[in-house]
Amino acid sequence: MTTNGIPSEIKELAERALGVATAAGATYVDARYLSEQSEQIDVQDDRVTGVGRGSTAGSRIEEAARLAVEIARSSRALMKGPVRMAGEPPHEASWSSPCAIDPFTVPLDQKIDLLLAATKAAKQVKELTIAEASIDLWRRTSWLATSDGTRIAQTITHTGAGLRAIAIGGGEVQQRSYPNSFRGGFASAGWEYATAMDLPGNAPAYAEEAVALLSAPECPSGTTTLILTPDQLGLQVHESIGHPIELDRVLGMEAAYAGTSFLKPGDEGSLRYGSDLINITADATLPGALGSFGYDDEGVEAQTIPIIREGIFQEFISSRETAGETGGERSNGTMRASGWDVIPLIRMTNINLEPGTSSLEEMIATTDDGILMSTNQSWSIDDKRVNFQFGCEIAWEIKDGKRGRMLRNPNYAGRTVDFWSSCDALGGPDEWVVWGTPNCGKGQPGQTARVAHGTSPGRFRGVNVGVRG
Amino acid sequence: MSRLLGPDRLADAIEPALRSAADGTLVVAVHSAGGLTRFASSRIHQNTHREDVEIRVMAVADECRVGVATTHSLERERVEAASANALSIARVTPRTAAFPGITEPRPLAAELPERFDEATAATSPAERAAAVTLALNEFPSDMEGAGAVETVADEVLVATSTGVRHYGRITRAAVSVMAMSPDSSGYAELIEGKLSDLDAAAIGARAVRKAEAGRNPQPVGPGSYTVILEPAATSTLMQFLAWLGFGAKSLLEERSFMAGKIGQKLMDERITITDDPLAADALGLPFDFEGTPAQPVTLIDRGVATSVVWDRETAKRGGRESTGHGLPAPNPDGPFPLNLRMQPGTDSLDDLIAGCERGLLVTRFHYSNVVHEKEAILTGMTRDGTFLVQDGKILHGVRNLRYTQNAVEALRNVEAIGDTTEISSELFFGGSRAPALRIRDFKFSSTTDH
Repeated sequence: MTTNGIPSEIKELAERALGVATAAGATYVDARYLSEQSEQIDVQDDRVTGVGRGSTAGSRIEEAARLAVEIARSSRALMKGPVRMAGEPPHEASWSSPCAIDPFTVPLDQKIDLLLAATKAAKQVKELTIAEASIDLWRRTSWLATSDGTRIAQTITHTGAGLRAIAIGGGEVQQRSYPNSFRGGFASAGWEYATAMDLPGNAPAYAEEAVALLSAPECPSGTTTLILTPDQLGLQVHESIGHPIELDRVLGMEAAYAGTSFLKPGDEGSLRYGSDLINITADATLPGALGSFGYDDEGVEAQTIPIIREGIFQEFISSRETAGETGGERSNGTMRASGWDVIPLIRMTNINLEPGTSSLEEMIATTDDGILMSTNQSWSIDDKRVNFQFGCEIAWEIKDGKRGRMLRNPNYAGRTVDFWSSCDALGGPDEWVVWGTPNCGKGQPGQTARVAHGTSPGRFRGVNVGVRG
Repeated sequence: MSRLLGPDRLADAIEPALRSAADGTLVVAVHSAGGLTRFASSRIHQNTHREDVEIRVMAVADECRVGVATTHSLERERVEAASANALSIARVTPRTAAFPGITEPRPLAAELPERFDEATAATSPAERAAAVTLALNEFPSDMEGAGAVETVADEVLVATSTGVRHYGRITRAAVSVMAMSPDSSGYAELIEGKLSDLDAAAIGARAVRKAEAGRNPQPVGPGSYTVILEPAATSTLMQFLAWLGFGAKSLLEERSFMAGKIGQKLMDERITITDDPLAADALGLPFDFEGTPAQPVTLIDRGVATSVVWDRETAKRGGRESTGHGLPAPNPDGPFPLNLRMQPGTDSLDDLIAGCERGLLVTRFHYSNVVHEKEAILTGMTRDGTFLVQDGKILHGVRNLRYTQNAVEALRNVEAIGDTTEISSELFFGGSRAPALRIRDFKFSSTTDH
């Protein structure tokens, strides 16, 4: 097998860790080696506000192996029974994500020039106060060895870039982000992804919208028809479907911190989550998506899992331990750690809302009275993932089938099942976009996972909008 | 369990970086070691020890070109490589007129409290498990417990080519307990510098009392209520105000509730908020990540907006001096107050409740976020112990509610302040030391079924 350049001494260290821990009494051991490269560039207006590169890797493996066994033993007094891990055949494999142009080989000045060109283009709009642009690059090369016999090498490369245009005035701070908020767009791809965005070419339009928002009327308060663009619908999927289907949350493992879930074991196959239009798939095999990999951090092969079919909940995302605890035969492969020094947790992969047959144009044309909202600005949801309130960067009034005035400070609120049940239209495959989300937080100590959501536009009836204090 | 490397070992490790050919160099070395024992369903389910060292090198070329590179190795070749990498980045980075230069040496405050506790640093997995057991021993048979016991030791060395050498070490211990009955939950958490200062059994009992009192929660409708916020809930408001407005960057960009308001009364005259890394009961270091000695800063003085915290770059832009609140480079987000505290009042929590004709007692908030940046309007949920108070007494638990509230206005509507403070964590941030507050006209926009 190819080992993605993993040095032989690393593999020997991992074998020693397995040996030491097994000799100390462990019944299951895994040793993970991670080597990470990262690069982050930030530009504000005409100046570079930060350029950083990082690398990380761990060491002292034998001491760590002995300590891991001691820690496991210290947990024994408070165990209710032995851990039963769902089975997984041993894999000897290597896997790499697609990457046409290695982003780490692109000269730094070329990257800086791209960002400065973007902020300069945005600042051509005179009333714009601040233009920010950023690039985020990340590569992980890993080696996983387990006492089950698994030996896996993986290399994953992620590229992200984005622009934020900020207008300040009259007691308002308004922003527009391209192609998405929170540092832009992200994909499991190389430099070709960043250049394809055309940040400079798109900057003026977003700058103009940010400025226009300063004098736009407030989003009205009330109950109305809501149409969401795919970027915001990605956030909606993330918070109100992606997190509640995590089996560790369902079993209470995150109860004290991030919370639990309104779902419970046994809801599979019977709980109505949304309207018949709602089909959700967890697909860790989607090429180019941020939540794709070959094998998870327990050595389970990447899978494509039906989560919701025609509105009915089908399956949780799981680990070997939680699948075992709930009687499952196999984990569906979602355990990932954000670094070498933290344990894997159940994390979303690519949680995708399958496309429908409508289009944004058709949804607007068939809406008498409603609001179109775009691009997430803030998010809040309760500890069982039911009561949510999300803010967006921009909205437009819809009257008599036409897009009307721009509206500022839009937000909407609802309850998860009621909201998804009110969906009566979804955009088709040609409007379906995969949104990389590099900042999914969970666990103690806090871990940040890289996940994604494929979405098209969606329409929801009877939604509470314009929530004010 | 956790062995410090010590100032000499860290200084030896970073010495190759300081010998760089750069015009100036700032090196921050952070060594962190600690254990975290998480439990859920009344069993330990995640039990970990982590140890890491990060060496962060900022190199300056041509006086105002800056690059940063990090390594997680103490090996000489790796540190040299990080240093060379930082300089290579600096050489191709455009000139930054706003770059304030590398910090010049200045003495730290003369009297510095000891922040390091040997026993906390040496806590074993078995000792953390024992603390979990003590907390769970307080539980009745129909409740399950979740939470964490954490012990961490950090040491930080900041060194510059100009001669700054600051070393600090600190320990931190935290015990959090959530008690869950079939239809209610309760939560208690304490964070201090020493594990021995935390009574795990008492924390567990406090969580159980809340879950017990919250059984059979009743619905209450949305609307304006007088609220009694326990310290964890107060801490959420403080942390978001800090994020939105207590740093100099948002002041200079005129995007916060503090912008244009310095010297004006924004909050009740009993509200004083400071950032004080040097306070005896804080958990801060006496210097920042730029090597500037940390200073206490009064942000809100008896209700009046007084100041914000500054790092070197914002200080240069604003014609000020850094207050020692710089974060690790590269930092496009500006300075941040890491040791926030609100001055306590004179009333006990019981007094706050007794003085409430009708209102809600809130244990803590969950998943708060910003609705309106400039006006500091926040939204979030209550969780783990929300109670209806009537005629000065806790009547019963209520189902959780969503608040949507201007945080500045809330601190303007303060009726009374608790006489003790606690350090509480917040989901998105670190901790701050806060008292309980009683606030009138606090707005809740929707409800839940749990």
